[in-house]
Amino acid sequence: MVAGLSDREITADIIESCRQGDRDAFRALYEAYKDKVYSIALYFFHGDETAASDMTQQVFLKLIHGIAQFRGDAGFSTWLYRLVVNACMDGARRAKPRELAASPDAVDGLAGPDSQEQDFAREQTARSVRTALSALPVKFRLPILLRYFEDLSYGEMAAAMNCSMGTVASRLNRGHKMLARKLESLR
Amino acid sequence: MKDELRGLPLAKAPDSIWESIEASLDAPLAGRLAGHRPAPLAMFAVAAAAVIAVGVWFMTRPPKAAWDVVRVDGKLTKHGKIEVGEWLQTDGSSRARISVGDIGTIDVAPNTRVRMVASQPGEQRLRLARGEISASVTAPPRLFFVDTPASTAVDLGCAYTMKADQDGNGLLRVTLGWVSLEWEGREALVPAGASCRSRPKIGPGTPYFDDASQGLQDALASFDFGGGRPALDSGLDTVLAEARVRDTLTLWHLLSRVEPAERQRVYNRIIDLVPLPKGVSPDKALQLDPETLKLWREELAWKW
Repeated sequence: MVAGLSDREITADIIESCRQGDRDAFRALYEAYKDKVYSIALYFFHGDETAASDMTQQVFLKLIHGIAQFRGDAGFSTWLYRLVVNACMDGARRAKPRELAASPDAVDGLAGPDSQEQDFAREQTARSVRTALSALPVKFRLPILLRYFEDLSYGEMAAAMNCSMGTVASRLNRGHKMLARKLESLR
Repeated sequence: MKDELRGLPLAKAPDSIWESIEASLDAPLAGRLAGHRPAPLAMFAVAAAAVIAVGVWFMTRPPKAAWDVVRVDGKLTKHGKIEVGEWLQTDGSSRARISVGDIGTIDVAPNTRVRMVASQPGEQRLRLARGEISASVTAPPRLFFVDTPASTAVDLGCAYTMKADQDGNGLLRVTLGWVSLEWEGREALVPAGASCRSRPKIGPGTPYFDDASQGLQDALASFDFGGGRPALDSGLDTVLAEARVRDTLTLWHLLSRVEPAERQRVYNRIIDLVPLPKGVSPDKALQLDPETLKLWREELAWKW
């Protein structure tokens, strides 16, 4: 019953149950968001599955732990994605000295579960996008991931990234342009 | 291209993640506070597990205005529980760990005196009279506060150490996330890897990265707390000369702290190091327009 929940269906009741320590409610929350959080982490960390798993676990532990104090005066997803952004930024900071451009091999591993059956040309395009996306600088990669995986509004992204909507718009715009240039060189 | 981005497949999170989370939730508290010194990632997992275990246990009980105190070494003036208004003191050979409700832990170093000030929804507050604490907090921002004689550390989702000496002089060092150090309208935003001093009746000084040059750190202390015009001038000269790209953290804070006549110098040095981003008006920045400074800080923060 939990697997099909979307973020729209994460109701105040589920959050309240989580606040009471209800393990099923924690699971429902986790199931609703796990793939999105994991995907952001996977793309953010250049396809590093271990780093993505660690970050996802860290985000949900913080969320479960802090939810008793969640006052509901900000949106739940805003809080969740702020945790995601913080975890990504902390991860990037720690990795700074050794952070390299995207590894094409690692990013290739991000193919969807049914990619074998997909049209070859379409899959090639998706692969190029993934490679280009993974190679973007952190400050442009993160807003694009939030925008396209989470479908967050500018306002939600601004809240999650602790910056203004103007900054979000500017970074998305520049990120799109950089992506387009990278894709040109990949094709 | 936007359609291609929208068409990117979601990756499926491995089942092992939930299994690890459940293991953390199920883990008994006993044995997690002692033992060997694990690797950083394992240390985080252990700390998080301990915090979660305490948190879940707390969630099943009626809320109490008390924190758990665990003796780590030596003798304590208080153990078991600490309630609002009570003091906890360690001597030269004792240490303690406090579980702050379900939001985090505080390690209390030797020769430290702390008092529990508040424990209620929306506010968990501790006073550090002297000594040193290390706090690790996983709560929504602005919920956990540490008062010292010179400032208040406001948790923005982080881990940090805070020291206060006999005279009330403070030193904050942030190891994860961000802390806002505040006193009577004066504020310093301190990210991971940076520190900030504070002095009674002056409040927080200017934050600096721990890997900044010693010359910069000394000059900053002189600028912030040295007193007198010569100290201000020579301090600022050295700070500007020795600042690196990352030290725009320090320079950004200095913009609003220097005299108007010196602001242009600080501004010039910042844009020498990092070009002014689009949307930041030089005039508004020099006039200390709050929105402009915030936008500029957000852009600079990617370098911090």
